[in-house]
Amino acid sequence: MTQVCVNSLRVAVPGKTLLDDLNLEFSPGQLVGLIGPNGAGKTTLIKTLAGFRPAGTGAVTWNGRDIRQWTARERAAVCGYLPQHYVFAWDYNVRDLIELGAARVAANEHSIADAVRAHELEALVERRWSTLSGGERARCLLASVMVAAPALLLVDEPGASLDIRHRIDLLARLRATAAKATVIVVMHDLELAARYCDRLVLLANGRIAQDAPSAEVIAPGALDATFGVRFQRVAIRPGFDAMLGIPPS
Amino acid sequence: MGRSRLLLGAALLGSLGFAASAGHDWATPAAVFRSLAGDDSLQSQLLITWRYPRILAAALVGALLGLGGAIFQGVFRNPLAEPYLLGSSGGAAVGATIALLVPMGLPSQWLLAGLSFLGAWGATWLVLLVGGWRRGADAAHLLLAGVAIAAMLGAVRSFMMLALSDDTMNLQAVLSWTLGGIQTPGWWGVLLLGGLTALALAAVMTLAHGLDLLGLGDEQAHAFGLQPERFVRWAVLVASAVVAVAVAWGGLVAFVGLIAPHVARWRCGPRHRRLLPESAAIGAILVVLCDGLARSVLPPAEIPLGLITAVFGGPFFLFVLARRRRP
Repeated sequence: MTQVCVNSLRVAVPGKTLLDDLNLEFSPGQLVGLIGPNGAGKTTLIKTLAGFRPAGTGAVTWNGRDIRQWTARERAAVCGYLPQHYVFAWDYNVRDLIELGAARVAANEHSIADAVRAHELEALVERRWSTLSGGERARCLLASVMVAAPALLLVDEPGASLDIRHRIDLLARLRATAAKATVIVVMHDLELAARYCDRLVLLANGRIAQDAPSAEVIAPGALDATFGVRFQRVAIRPGFDAMLGIPPS
Repeated sequence: MGRSRLLLGAALLGSLGFAASAGHDWATPAAVFRSLAGDDSLQSQLLITWRYPRILAAALVGALLGLGGAIFQGVFRNPLAEPYLLGSSGGAAVGATIALLVPMGLPSQWLLAGLSFLGAWGATWLVLLVGGWRRGADAAHLLLAGVAIAAMLGAVRSFMMLALSDDTMNLQAVLSWTLGGIQTPGWWGVLLLGGLTALALAAVMTLAHGLDLLGLGDEQAHAFGLQPERFVRWAVLVASAVVAVAVAWGGLVAFVGLIAPHVARWRCGPRHRRLLPESAAIGAILVVLCDGLARSVLPPAEIPLGLITAVFGGPFFLFVLARRRRP
């Protein structure tokens, strides 16, 4: 279990402040979504939380320890990261990728077999990456990350290249993971974010516009100003609404 | 997997057998066996004193070139990367040219190895820095930087040969380096080269997991516990040492570092724990075969080894390039 704290975090590049004075706390047991329009700072935040990007000022701590004090290997043993884009130099097969993920905690053959089973990859273990479909790739990547049973899972826009069924499948898996780990996910699909995340952090221009339970963040009118569109909830059936974004006329 | 290794072993033995026979005077298989069995005829003595050390040196140089190529392709994350094309061998050759042409009052062998290493290391870093490695440049950009720097280093080497050489012997030595060619060492020389190759293999094998992770991209490598910048620094140092030893014994031999890792990847996949030793074995086979051809095609003259590897390597490079362009 990993407690993640962000204290007065500021990240800037010459001429632009990407994240400004963020204070956040993430605990296990919840699926937390980071939402916001393009350029709001979601990917910068998730990369800073993962330790890939140095915090300008302020600090990110995992279990009370500043992540700058963690070595890359220590971080890898605790944290799993799923990137938005992935381009591999070589055509690894599914087993290679899961083994590489397992090596960060010296996981044994048994854990690898469990990860293969849990992500329904039994028939694919010898298949090369180039021959996998988008959904198979997503499951393979998730297995390579989850094989080490990370206490913290950071995910940047899962399923950006997946169809809706595989996106739902991936989110259901992340939600199940959140029961025993801290899971933070960058989301563009607001409807899925609302349906699967317990808590949403809305970012706008590098600042926190709202941080609340999902139902509150997507309440009528709450997102309109940030995204520059009018959102309308449409009842599909009892207990199931869809969100439509209507551009200003 | 066992069968595949057996095949590789048989190919290596076959190439050694061919090279043992090949030469200005061809030796029959029976003559080769006799010489190995302790026969003391003149032919056997010539084989043992001259040909066999050279064949073993060729195998070791080939193994080093295969290893160097595999590390370069892993670090640059590009199957077209190769020490010769990226200027690393060229840098080593500039170092060797200085060692051969500038009197410095140091033992020539150490000077040769040391300056070759500095040249290879400096040239590789130049390529990485000019190619924008820290800014996350793409592999094509790095390769182009490598080609440009290799060309510049070639010019520097030629200029030094013209400006510094007043001794015909030295110029001849540098020229033969430029075209590539296995030196014929004594058995002590082979032992030294064998020791260095074993050390190189041990050092290179420590890079295997890191090279695998690097192939996932910087971000995912980092997420799996690797510090890419620190790792690349160390890998370049090791690769430069490997290339320097290969250049010190074999001169500028092109394309072996390209072909060997490629064939190894076709055979055993991209994981470096298997790829590195396979690449070394395939490099050894290639150089032993090419060196055998170099000694036997135009007797009594010897064709420079680098010319023969280029004849095979150039079309192979184009073939790989064409395959990569295919959707």
